[in-house]
Amino acid sequence: MVISLSWLRELVDISVDVATLAERLTLAGNEVERIHDQGADFEGVVIAEVKGLRPHPNADKLQLAAVWTGQATVEVVTGATNLSVGDRVPLALEGARLGERRIKRQVFRGVWSQGMLCSPIELGLGEDATGILILDDGIEGHDLHEVYPADTILVLEIKSNRPDLLCHLGIAREVSAIFGVPLKPPAVPSDRPPMASKLTTIEALDGCRRFVGRLIKGVNNMTRPPAWMTARLRSAGVRPISIVVDITNYVMLEMGQPMHAFDFQHLNGGRVVVRRAHEGEELLCLDGFKRLLRATDLVVADSEHAQGLAGIIGGEETAITLQTADVLLEAATWEPGSIRRTARALGLRTEASQRFEKGLSPALALPAIDRAAALIGELAGGKPTSSVDLYPDPLKAILIEIAPDRIDRVLGLSIKHTDAESILERLEFKIERSDGRLAVRPPDFRLDCSIPEDVVEEVGRIYGYDRVPSTLPGERVPVRDLYERQDADEIAREVLAGREVDEAVTNSLISADGTANIRLPAAPASLARITNPMAETRNALRASLLPGLLEALALNARQDQAGARLFEVGPAFWRGKLDRVDEPRMLAVALHVPSGGAPAALIELRNLQAILATVRDRLAIESTEFRQSQATGFHPGRTAEIVDQGEPIGVVGEVHPDVLAQLDLPGRAVAAEVLFDRLTADGRRVPQARPLPRFPGVRRDLTVVIRGKIASNDLVQVIRQLGGYTLRDISMQSEYQGPQVGAGARSLSFRLLYQADDRTLTNDEVAGIQQRIVEGLKQRFGAEVRS
Amino acid sequence: MSVNVGDLDAIGIDARRRIASAPDEAALEQLRVELLGKKGGLTAALRGLGRLPADQRAAAGARANSLKAEIEGLLATRAQQLQETRIGTLADREWVDVTFVPNPIRRGHLHPLTLILREVKAIFSRIGYDVALGPQVEDEFHNFEALNIPQDHPARDTMDSFYLEDGKLLLRTHTSPVQIRYMQSHTPPIRIIAPGAVYRRDATDPSHGSQFYQFEGLVVDHDIRLSDLKGTIEYFARSLFGSDRRIRISGDHFPFTEPSIGASVSCGLCDGAGCRSCKAGWLEILGAGMVHPQVLRNGGIDPQHFSGFAFGAGLDRLAMLKYNVNDLRMFLDKDVSFLRQF
Ligand SMILES: [Zn+2]
Repeated sequence: MVISLSWLRELVDISVDVATLAERLTLAGNEVERIHDQGADFEGVVIAEVKGLRPHPNADKLQLAAVWTGQATVEVVTGATNLSVGDRVPLALEGARLGERRIKRQVFRGVWSQGMLCSPIELGLGEDATGILILDDGIEGHDLHEVYPADTILVLEIKSNRPDLLCHLGIAREVSAIFGVPLKPPAVPSDRPPMASKLTTIEALDGCRRFVGRLIKGVNNMTRPPAWMTARLRSAGVRPISIVVDITNYVMLEMGQPMHAFDFQHLNGGRVVVRRAHEGEELLCLDGFKRLLRATDLVVADSEHAQGLAGIIGGEETAITLQTADVLLEAATWEPGSIRRTARALGLRTEASQRFEKGLSPALALPAIDRAAALIGELAGGKPTSSVDLYPDPLKAILIEIAPDRIDRVLGLSIKHTDAESILERLEFKIERSDGRLAVRPPDFRLDCSIPEDVVEEVGRIYGYDRVPSTLPGERVPVRDLYERQDADEIAREVLAGREVDEAVTNSLISADGTANIRLPAAPASLARITNPMAETRNALRASLLPGLLEALALNARQDQAGARLFEVGPAFWRGKLDRVDEPRMLAVALHVPSGGAPAALIELRNLQAILATVRDRLAIESTEFRQSQATGFHPGRTAEIVDQGEPIGVVGEVHPDVLAQLDLPGRAVAAEVLFDRLTADGRRVPQARPLPRFPGVRRDLTVVIRGKIASNDLVQVIRQLGGYTLRDISMQSEYQGPQVGAGARSLSFRLLYQADDRTLTNDEVAGIQQRIVEGLKQRFGAEVRS
Repeated sequence: MSVNVGDLDAIGIDARRRIASAPDEAALEQLRVELLGKKGGLTAALRGLGRLPADQRAAAGARANSLKAEIEGLLATRAQQLQETRIGTLADREWVDVTFVPNPIRRGHLHPLTLILREVKAIFSRIGYDVALGPQVEDEFHNFEALNIPQDHPARDTMDSFYLEDGKLLLRTHTSPVQIRYMQSHTPPIRIIAPGAVYRRDATDPSHGSQFYQFEGLVVDHDIRLSDLKGTIEYFARSLFGSDRRIRISGDHFPFTEPSIGASVSCGLCDGAGCRSCKAGWLEILGAGMVHPQVLRNGGIDPQHFSGFAFGAGLDRLAMLKYNVNDLRMFLDKDVSFLRQF
């Protein structure tokens, strides 16, 4: 909302400076976003008329304008392209000031310019820097301040529940309440011509809450509007058009009620109907665009066809012209949802639609039309001849009862009853009773107040939240129930960061078709799709974090950051039965291996497995088991599933070459994705101390050579079986493939720890067990022992 | 073999010369073994004493023992000299350029949203708040209706939603539905924060994304007041941004709180004077208010007996302010050059 301070001063006494005014309005919930001194940015600028235009002899992009200053014609050089002969423009001659800059006569490419023509931004009258400000009014040679007088402009952000504040009177009322000064509302005569109900019919009762009309005959629309009115309209950012239209705009900016004026002589049948549009009905709107309407759009029509989009924009056919003599004024209250839907569907937001969408009170319509009709009569000579007021379901007055200590209890302060009541009265609430229980009636222009809390808010925001003390809630602090899984992911993050993996956050929305097909075997193959995506590249919810992370590796590689190592903790979205979407929390890791081929990738795969085992070791009691496996998007020979109590909970492996090719990721990559809550076994490992061993243990290394695709896990199981109870620990030490063992063979080294609780084991005893293991491995897997 | 005094003299002369010229401690140790060890000349001489006539044995023995003692003394002195030299010349012999520091050990970097959330969680856990989570795929009841945002409410304009195929589910547009879910499943006293991703069909620019991060706070108990909310906001903002910051509470509007307020913190760059990165010296950090009685009822809580406050802030916005990030889109950009700054 753009507020002219000089206009506001007419409606309320303001004794504070602008900064204080803005600060207090902001604290009360009406944020002042910008303060601007209009007319302070120029001095000595005069109004001139363009008499002739010709090209600059030496420059294609410049032209020479001959302008009449009321006394002489001078020539100026300009780069603007929006000028026509006859335009009135602001002219800064030698000595004039624009901002900090003094204007001088100057030569541009060999031609003297006697001054300059100014754009809105140079004058501080708008943001437009592309063309010269074309004036709608003013006398040649006079100071531009006659059209743009000095004023302070406040730009306010009004909350969506307060459409009553989208006008000067509304803001004046706030100022009156905040500073405790009287409001000076405009005089609104209430002598109305007789009712003529046949002028209007409401067919669409669900779209129109009230329709107030006034027929005014014998208007002279060629009358010049008074300077104070056009100046205020300009200050508020509205362009003056003609006296009748200007008055409707003026009253809207003053009292908040948008109005529309029809040229009555062009209304077929001499009456209007409020109805829904016919599907496909056309309307040529005031902005010059022809729009195709839908059956849900609300229109104001004559007996033939639609003549305006209700509450949004008028039609061209019945628009007011300078020749208009008889005017039908409309001040209606439209159902907000209907206006909102139509305005959105047409992509058309106007001053009127923005007010109606927020739900204006029907109480505003009558005083506004009274005020407008009086101004038309006074300034343009018209005479009101008949009235309409269709108001099928009038507002019911609300009485809000508030317990005596309610305001203090909600706000946590103690405010004097008289202070609270005086605030409410300044806001035009009626105090019905104040003995013990406070009973108030909100003013009829406020539809946002219906419960005691609404009244508390009014008192609180005007009284000032800065006067509310600061406390912390209650003595009864609830016992905090540590959210285990939250802490678990912090531990996982630390482990991963400690292994040089960076954390990324990637988008949940992905492309349903263009995304790499790589995921956990447990994830559903089809994605949950978005019906109204903003882009086809983001039209589905991810079922796996891996495509996003792998894309990130490729993106970094393209930006000269090959070898990125990334992880993410976050939800995947799994389409379940019916209308359910599960959101399992995932830990995903992707490591780029830009060079070194298969051996380098194998090293990183082992690293990644060790990282996952470490995360689990920090969080869960169970150890981590990997099982040779296959998964979509993974290398068929280099992939393991991560197993928890026999069930797969994740996958780790090298990324399939097809996926790398699709992502255009050079080299190789290894990746893992795990159901995070299963990895951590939903809990937190609490370390448990055991008694230290009383007898020394015996360490033995065991190296065997095997052939073929035998999993070391299987070997470990046999070793564990045969080792018996004195075999306390087995760890995998190293793996070797190469000339020393021959083609197709691998040597695997394990370290075994033997220990007993009741004695020191003898070498012979241990040697016997080792021998048993060696024979077992030979028998089961054809393994040969190497010394 | 027999021993005579001349042999002992020769041993003595040789030992004195060699001890004096031993170049370092290792050579001296080798010399000590040679002179005094089992295979050394002096040991052999001592062993030969037994074969001497009894009258010579005592004198030769005394002579040999005194030579041994002399050698031991010389060895010890020389050892000390050599040690002193070694320590004394360390600075020259083993000098290194300690200003040449190769890359420190590379660590992984945690995401700035993780870091800011950690701070937020730590601040609130100190005053007894739990962390609650809710689904990101929501229904209209929890995301809108239960929060007093019916169809056609103007607030829906600012929360344009992504809908799933069935037309009923949507991606949550704010973390506020967690309020409803938590109230439905818990009884007061309630103190939670609820962080997470939210989604809106907004055009993206440096301060808007279609996926961004919020956290919600909710406290419900007997007799909760706006002053409690104000105190909580001040505690939070000063903990996060520093105790010298001022906090401003102004009126605001949200459908699910009544009264509603907005909180701003004084700008750290201009200290409230007003600059390019703030609004007249203030930075908006959160929206809040007393939970609307109807919202309490929608959560299954009787507003006659309980009251509460709620607040919501943009985690990404807090991270931008705290870590001087000037484009919100960087958070989802996955660029390691950015991620490694944290
Ligand atoms: Zn600042």
